[in-house]
Amino acid sequence: MMSALLFSATGVRAQQLRLAYYGETVTHYGLKAGYEIPVGTRHLRNETVRKEILFAPGIAVYRHPHNHTGIVVSPELAYRRTGPRGGFYELALAPSYFRYFLAGTTFEVDETGAFRRVPLAGRNAFLPTVSLGFGKDLSVRKRAGFSWYARLNLMQQRPYNASSLLRFSLEAGIIKPLKKS
Amino acid sequence: MKSLRRLLHICLFTSLVTLFFSCEKEDLTEVGQTFHLRHKGADMPIWVRGNLSSNKIVLYLHGGPGDCAMCYRHYLKGLENSVAVAYWDQRIAGSSSGKVDLKTLNYEQFGEDAYYTVKLLKERYPNAKIYLLAHSFGVELAWQFLTTGDNQKMVSGLMAVNGTFSTYRWLVQVREWVLREARKQNKPEVEKYAAENPVTRENLSTYQWEKLYRHMMDLGGNPVSLYDDKAFVVNYVFATPNTALGQFTHGKAYEQYGKVEMQKFEKSALLRNIRIPVALFWGVKDGVVPVGIAHETRDLLTATSASLVTFDASWHEPFVSETDRFIAEVLRFVR
Repeated sequence: MMSALLFSATGVRAQQLRLAYYGETVTHYGLKAGYEIPVGTRHLRNETVRKEILFAPGIAVYRHPHNHTGIVVSPELAYRRTGPRGGFYELALAPSYFRYFLAGTTFEVDETGAFRRVPLAGRNAFLPTVSLGFGKDLSVRKRAGFSWYARLNLMQQRPYNASSLLRFSLEAGIIKPLKKS
Repeated sequence: MKSLRRLLHICLFTSLVTLFFSCEKEDLTEVGQTFHLRHKGADMPIWVRGNLSSNKIVLYLHGGPGDCAMCYRHYLKGLENSVAVAYWDQRIAGSSSGKVDLKTLNYEQFGEDAYYTVKLLKERYPNAKIYLLAHSFGVELAWQFLTTGDNQKMVSGLMAVNGTFSTYRWLVQVREWVLREARKQNKPEVEKYAAENPVTRENLSTYQWEKLYRHMMDLGGNPVSLYDDKAFVVNYVFATPNTALGQFTHGKAYEQYGKVEMQKFEKSALLRNIRIPVALFWGVKDGVVPVGIAHETRDLLTATSASLVTFDASWHEPFVSETDRFIAEVLRFVR
């Protein structure tokens, strides 16, 4: 929060839209959309280096075939540093919400020992997430009006059976400003 | 505001597309069916693959406890042209999920889960005969299931692969294996340890079986590692429905099972009630569950004909080290 206050003293940039491939591997595929709201921006070295704190709510949907379909809602807080040539790296934290739907039909055993079909069977879970990413803002050198990025997300699903499950996901896509800064 | 609306539309579209592709048909003649059994906190996947028109389903009871079923499809796939195979992940095992109380990790509950798995398969495929193919801990689970009530009437046969009917007899056989191998390999300190630590019914609950087990492994009781098989690893990570890292979280849940529950397992006296056909498939070089257990099992099965099929070049997983012959033996049994 202190960092956000320090950053906010130097103004904020435009809000941005993020769209990316999202999945555990290429075979557990999905999409992620996010919305970046700069909380604070700070320029250094004659404005060639930019440091930002971003609030980036996002939603990802992916499919693990024959296992489950997952939806991840992630209200992210991210730090991003963009260099003079547009290259950037970022670190993000998110206390995400995870909802998954089991593949196929789920049959629950009722009190009489009979089976009952459970529509849209699945579970809810807490999914705290740490993300590390890099990318390039192509607008810095006027090549294009967007950035590309890739990141690795490390997540812990709670509850999972009697404990927790470490998950990871890969994300790669573009970030598009909604208006010129 | 307009942008937010656009984002909402993208999210909605993405969700619908993904959910659409995740829906599975209910056509029971399909070669691949996926469903889940939800029971006492556990969501256990059951994948049915293969030739359903054969009206024969081989239900694979995986080992562990805490191992996985679908991961072994890499080795069992050869069955699927002739019969259907049901791969069931037990509670806190493989890709099973949910919110599970550790107190449910006991033989009664595993047996009950097996009962509902078989019942569900029989309801889904009423014309199919079900055969159990049980490996290691799966054999214990099979005996638990088959010696409870009239459960054995639900299935047409059991193929037991390197698994025991009694924890006590298992440890006795492992100790004898260690003594024999230590002498053969000239390891006097290991031989001394095994000689000085006999297993009795009286000391079973306090016996330090992990030490004996470690000596057995050091003597080459099961040198086969699935992770040395690159094709298996690639298949496991990329081409199966397994929860890749889930497998590594299950072990901790079974600490109490290893300390207390496992020692209680004893079905020696109940095997004489088994009337369904039984085949014992055994890797003879195995130190994990030595072939002596196979001989004892056969002697206890007095009410049925139990055949013993040995795999001379195999240890604990004959379906890994002698895959083709193993497949042929399973098909011979179910025919």
